[in-house]
Amino acid sequence: MSAEQLGTWVGFIFTLMVFSYLLGDNILYRLAVFVFAGLAAGFVTMITIESVIMPWLNATILAPTPNIGALILGAIPLLFGLLLLARTSRRYGRIGAIGLAFIVGIGAAVAVVGAVSGSLLPLAVRTVEDVRLAQPAADGTNYALLNGFLIAIGVVSTLIAFQYSARRVPGMPDQTRRGLLIRAIGAVGQGFIVVTMAALYGGAILTGLTIVSDRLVYLLSRLFAGG
Amino acid sequence: MNRLWSILAAAVAVGFGLITLFGLLLFPNPVTNALLQIAAITIAVSVLIGILNLYSVHLRRLFTRGRGSGYSLVMLLAAGLVIYLWLSGQDEANMTLLETVQVALESALAGLVLFALVYGAYRYMRRGVTWSGILFTVVLLIMLIGVLPGSGTIGQIRAWLLAVPVSAGERGILLGIALATVVTGVRVLIGQDRNYRE
Repeated sequence: MSAEQLGTWVGFIFTLMVFSYLLGDNILYRLAVFVFAGLAAGFVTMITIESVIMPWLNATILAPTPNIGALILGAIPLLFGLLLLARTSRRYGRIGAIGLAFIVGIGAAVAVVGAVSGSLLPLAVRTVEDVRLAQPAADGTNYALLNGFLIAIGVVSTLIAFQYSARRVPGMPDQTRRGLLIRAIGAVGQGFIVVTMAALYGGAILTGLTIVSDRLVYLLSRLFAGG
Repeated sequence: MNRLWSILAAAVAVGFGLITLFGLLLFPNPVTNALLQIAAITIAVSVLIGILNLYSVHLRRLFTRGRGSGYSLVMLLAAGLVIYLWLSGQDEANMTLLETVQVALESALAGLVLFALVYGAYRYMRRGVTWSGILFTVVLLIMLIGVLPGSGTIGQIRAWLLAVPVSAGERGILLGIALATVVTGVRVLIGQDRNYRE
């Protein structure tokens, strides 16, 4: 039996072990989950060292002719890593905040740029263009324009549905209430959110169904075709 | 002394954050690229530290014979097998392990999600009749039935739902997430939000 055949049979057994969860939580399922966690941890260790850390060290600290600049540059992430490790210590935890602050600062900058250039601008432009560039059909009807308006209304009302600013109710200091207009638009937005969530839920069920049928075909082919 | 470390941490976050922001927005420069590379490697090192912590937790549980130490042994053996195959240069065996065992386990676990989703939908529908519940159920049924071959009008309704209201809802939610990301990011970059001190 080749290594691949052995691996396939092991995969088959683990698939059965995972599906045994349908009968309730049991030792076989838990064993499969811990094997999964162990393999995942092993692969992440391997890829992190082999594909990220070693190329960096080879280009800086372990370079054939390293200069002082490369040595310092190569050591900085390791230093920050040590600082992050220090966060687990009660005594040196404050020093560890420096490493975390570095990652948070750079991450915030990347997130702001990514959100503006990757989501805010393209989605806003697309929503405007759905209305602006809507063309009538050959029979003169312009459903594209109607759909464009519906999308614009949906986007705005969905955003307003997440608007929680409210005024205090006069005479009742503990109670707040949103304005009537905001509540009305928010209700429309909630409708759009429910439709979106149902569609995403349906998509997730269909994806799950595809995966389960693929697994069942795999199991049956192992059982009856032997290969 | 603690206050000094806090100020230094805030200076590091704001300083490096602003340099990166201006580099990405206005003019690409080698300093920004170097900072991004350093941040990526630092995150990789922190991932490694996290995994080493995972190993140490399971090793501790194994040696103290704590509850579930058998599972810890299985987990460590699985991780050890991958690392052993990697260090001994048996890349082909490692790839076989990944493609046959790891992918099979992942797929089976992803398949289990289907049952959780269907059960969740069933429980949601049993909670009582509300407008949102009815709307959710109707759209869900259209999404599931409309994908079948020959679903005719339901298929067309499904396509329209995906193209118009679902698209609008998705854009609204994504825009909301992006706005919140910008607000949180700007708060960090101006030093208003300093959670990293804790």
